[in-house]
Amino acid sequence: MSVDAISSIRPAVIEAARAGRRLEAADVRELAAVTDILAVGALADDARRARHGAATSFVRVHVLDLALLATWTAPPAGAREVRLAGQPASPVAAVDAVQRAKAIADGLPLRGFVLADVLRLGGAPLLAELKSAGLDEIALVEPGADAAAAVQTARDAGLGVRVIGAIACPSDRAGWILEARALVDAVGGIEAVAPLADAADPTTPTTGFDDVRQVALARLAFDAVPRVQVDWRRHGPKLAQVALTVGADDLDLVAADDDTSRGTRRAPLEEIRRNITAAGLTPVERDGRFASLAG
Amino acid sequence: MTFSLDALGARILDGGRLTADEALWLYREAPTMWLGRMADAVRRRKHPHGVVTYIIDRNVNYTNVCVARCNFCAFYRTVGHAEGYVLGFDEIHRKIDETMALGGNQLLLQGGHNPDLPLAWYEDLFRGIKAKYPDFKLHALSPPEILHIAKTSKLPVPEVVTRLVAVGLDSVPGGGAEILVDRVRKLLNCYSKATADEWLDVMREVHKAGLRTTATMMYGTVETDEERLEHMLRLRALQDETGGFTAFITWSYQPEHTERGGEEATGVDYLRTLAIARLVLDNFDNLQASWVTQGGKVGQLSLAFGANDMGSVMIEENVVRAAGAEYCMDEYEVVRNIENAGFTASRRTMHYEHLGTPVFRQREVPRVLALATARQEGDQSVPAELVNYEAKSAAGKRQRGQAPPSPVA
Ligand code: SF4
Repeated sequence: MSVDAISSIRPAVIEAARAGRRLEAADVRELAAVTDILAVGALADDARRARHGAATSFVRVHVLDLALLATWTAPPAGAREVRLAGQPASPVAAVDAVQRAKAIADGLPLRGFVLADVLRLGGAPLLAELKSAGLDEIALVEPGADAAAAVQTARDAGLGVRVIGAIACPSDRAGWILEARALVDAVGGIEAVAPLADAADPTTPTTGFDDVRQVALARLAFDAVPRVQVDWRRHGPKLAQVALTVGADDLDLVAADDDTSRGTRRAPLEEIRRNITAAGLTPVERDGRFASLAG
Repeated sequence: MTFSLDALGARILDGGRLTADEALWLYREAPTMWLGRMADAVRRRKHPHGVVTYIIDRNVNYTNVCVARCNFCAFYRTVGHAEGYVLGFDEIHRKIDETMALGGNQLLLQGGHNPDLPLAWYEDLFRGIKAKYPDFKLHALSPPEILHIAKTSKLPVPEVVTRLVAVGLDSVPGGGAEILVDRVRKLLNCYSKATADEWLDVMREVHKAGLRTTATMMYGTVETDEERLEHMLRLRALQDETGGFTAFITWSYQPEHTERGGEEATGVDYLRTLAIARLVLDNFDNLQASWVTQGGKVGQLSLAFGANDMGSVMIEENVVRAAGAEYCMDEYEVVRNIENAGFTASRRTMHYEHLGTPVFRQREVPRVLALATARQEGDQSVPAELVNYEAKSAAGKRQRGQAPPSPVA
């Protein structure tokens, strides 16, 4: 007996997902309401395997926190990208941070900021200034009313915008996915979707069921986006690893230093490989430009 | 050996039993989602009403002094160590008061193998609790502790069990099982505290005495996949014989601050292990989620991988915390997770009798955002009543002002 026999998902939706056809909005909403999350997870796993096989990419990122300028150091040898984290307080602070980061980035791609934050702070002129200060890419765009125009503005300024995601958890998760998909359709060139976000209220974090369903839905809904990305640092090894079994194929923000100060545990690189392998998948390191690294 | 997923799936859905070889193959080869969905189907067959249970009880460790020295344990202190403690009867009573204030009905009472606590200490402790709190339950003393008491009191296990039951022991937790394979137990230095057979024999005696128990498995140290399954199959065989186990709980070895060290098994490994346990342990009704080792998220996902119970809100935890895991879920959070997963939450006893709706919906209960510890840090007080019990160790005798053994034999 095939496992489909115990599925609570309508056969037509299963069939559409298996055939790689675009899911209709109603299908996405239906899947978002299924409590049998492993049925959705299994479909998403099939979809990720059809696209990537067992390959699971990860990127080692040297994070520079905008709130902790005094602690900044040059990236360690393992870093493949430098990422500015946090919100700049002013346009001047944003440009200054990019200049300082560029000075120590040692040629690595420099990504940072949420697109809407930059536009709020200084509009198109600030984007241009950040570009000339050395920023390569905006780290994240959130879907929203003006998001397509915003992406265009950033790209016109010479900045890449390739990751779509959410900062705070949307109340209508399926609605968010559909809105994000419309943005992908409008702007093209989106390399990864990062579907997991922090709960708006930290005392009621998102649950494992919420997160698994959201990752799986993203894999099934985003037919035009190659990667479904999970933040290793923010979501932690256990949930991030589980996400890899339900459609995610890219791990962002793996620590770049081989810091073993956490007692007997292994260094981040070994730890990430161990987790990917233990999920039955194959680790493939990538650089900050989404290109696989050999070896 | 290879098998067919479809054929094994059909057998599982029909309620058929898996052999050791079949189980091993599934554990190694079946896709994670497949394993989870089969375990979920079995869970649904055994618990068709969409109810997920939990218990409000408190995890109290009456002493951390232990002569066993298992190399995976970050909790114990050696005899005479400055950080060694024994809780006083009044401290334990205070913990019961706090537990009852949160709607709790039971202590999960376990501790180290302390040579200076004779059987009489346990008897007095239990008697005192039952006198003061007649309806309160004692889920206490895992098999190695019972063996330890039997050895120190030079009494056979059945007699120790009878005496403990007479003073109020209600049920026995399945701790100290680790992996029930002696090769593994020797490597973990827990063979001398209880061999696999001894652990199972104590459980058999306890079941014979009419008590129910749980069973546990700690994986992720030196054991092979085969040995994890051997563990489950030995439990399944004893359950066929006695029917005494209420539930199975598995968790991953927590490596921090232990002599053994190493890494923790991953979240996916946990979910696969839980799922295969649901499939192999076809004669166990209940599987608990281990949120205390896996965190709230993977803890909740356990409910999709075969678990039908969120375990305990714990209130207090000392053992896995010592080894680096510090998750907390109070009743509110446990219930939120159960309901978010699409289930109805029900409070229960150790025997899985339903006690009704969450306490926090019936009355004001304070939120608990961090688990308590056995004692405040730095509290080195020694309970006054200990002088009434004869210590065996030289350090214990000194502390209690008891005469050293006579040099003349
Ligand atoms: S696991 Fe139990 S028996 Fe082993 S050393 Fe720790 S406290 Fe003692």
